[in-house]
Amino acid sequence: MAIITISRGSYSKGKEVAEKVAERLGYECVSRDVLLDASDRFNIPEVKLVRAIHDAPSVLDRFKHGKQIFIAYIRSALMCRVANDNIVYHGLAGHVLLTGVPNVLKVRIIADMEDRVKAEMEREGISAEDARILLQKDDEERRKWTKTLYGVDPWDISLYDLVVHINKLTISDAVDCVCQAASKEAFKTTESYRRKIKNLGLACQVKAALVDPFFDVGVTCESGNVVIYTGAGERQVNKLKKRAKELEKEIEGINNLEVHAGVPIPEDAL
Amino acid sequence: MPIIIISSDSYRTGRDIGEKTAQTIGYDYVDRDILPPVCEKYGVQEEKLLKALEETPSFLGLSSKLRSKYLAYIQEATLGQLLDDNVVCHGLGAHLYVLGVSHALKVRVLSEPESLARELFSEALTSPDKARKIIKRYEEQRKNWSLSAFNLDETDPSNYDMVISLAQIDPDEAVKTIVDTAAYRKFQPMTYSIRCLQDKELASRVRVVLMEKFPDVKVTADRGTVVVETKAVKREKRKRTEAIKELAGSVEGVRYVEVHVTTDIFRQAAESAR
Repeated sequence: MAIITISRGSYSKGKEVAEKVAERLGYECVSRDVLLDASDRFNIPEVKLVRAIHDAPSVLDRFKHGKQIFIAYIRSALMCRVANDNIVYHGLAGHVLLTGVPNVLKVRIIADMEDRVKAEMEREGISAEDARILLQKDDEERRKWTKTLYGVDPWDISLYDLVVHINKLTISDAVDCVCQAASKEAFKTTESYRRKIKNLGLACQVKAALVDPFFDVGVTCESGNVVIYTGAGERQVNKLKKRAKELEKEIEGINNLEVHAGVPIPEDAL
Repeated sequence: MPIIIISSDSYRTGRDIGEKTAQTIGYDYVDRDILPPVCEKYGVQEEKLLKALEETPSFLGLSSKLRSKYLAYIQEATLGQLLDDNVVCHGLGAHLYVLGVSHALKVRVLSEPESLARELFSEALTSPDKARKIIKRYEEQRKNWSLSAFNLDETDPSNYDMVISLAQIDPDEAVKTIVDTAAYRKFQPMTYSIRCLQDKELASRVRVVLMEKFPDVKVTADRGTVVVETKAVKREKRKRTEAIKELAGSVEGVRYVEVHVTTDIFRQAAESAR
């Protein structure tokens, strides 16, 4: 009935909240599974995908577009899961990877630094100072990642529908709040939302199939009609058209596929 | 019963949610309506108190000293109201000075972005990009205000128990979430949390009394014992301590006054150089 993404920092109790929300609502709880799906489907080692979605892009990455390629793979795998509805995703960057999906309940779970430090100390057996440094570095890496690739700060509360601070509110209270929010009308999956998600899923699959080597294409999809936008030169466009023809047969559910060259890429294109 | 403190990026939205919450739960609603009696008591125009709640000190606007004084008046009046319990409070910056009171549920409500942009910018908005820029600029102003007034960032979610965005959630549903959350065990008043609030209220009253003569004072209270921190040059220390003890001692509820005076090194250096 709903799609829930739970954004969190390390040791912020977001994982526990996500698992309990999924259990209570009878939803699928997904995190690392998306990376495993992407790893299987595109034959990329999981560790490379983890790095792509966690570490901020280096200067070299910006030229090689490696991260954009891996992210397109991860996004495609996530959209396949989301298409089944009734899902809680608490992996990295759910709020940006699911941009365009209309009924997502975007939740952020935060916890006090001191509590996070304690949890990290217990788990890693390190001093408080080391734990704090690790957490700060991890937070900074996540912030840089989203800022560089999507131009938004994951700590900006306006990105979320609900932010719950685990302090006075317990994990169980947070679960209540999230479940209650998920039952609200705005987050119910309607037939038109289902169609939109299906189209987005198709666009993601096409983008993932093209992104290496055509990393700068934009893809949109409406009622199964896929349009690929490119600003590349004639030779590249011919190559792209040839690959697009193959994709039409490879990917299920495409009605029609067109390549539009030399026109501006729409804002909502993937 | 708990105190519910609502903060919002839009005064109008915060008031709507606050009033509806109070109505639903049967609490009193405290907002800027408490300011006229404050104006009367201290002989200040209401407009100036509102300015202190909205603006950072500037050359043409309020001075830093005056703003601190006005905010102290507001703080005193608000904390007095919160002592009554069963209260929903909004629009008085309480989320920034009611700290460490466990029965206070602090909620930030974010308006629907387009309506907020329309509220801030009366002209027709040409693009969502422009709306985003306007909101960002306003957020930055509020952040600066809260940092300069209370040394806390009001846009930081860790200063709240919960943040609800009205971009997709209906206001009535947000109210229901707030009401349900207020019923959680942790927000029920306990002897300790009530005492914390009483201490804050007493400290705020003492600070108002002292501010006229000693604008830089910091005041804390613990069961009638008041600790005042201030700065002075060496030769003024004793005189200042006595004056503070006398003034603070006259406030109702104060049983003992402790004054900590540290040396004002800048004034001391300036006087030595003369």
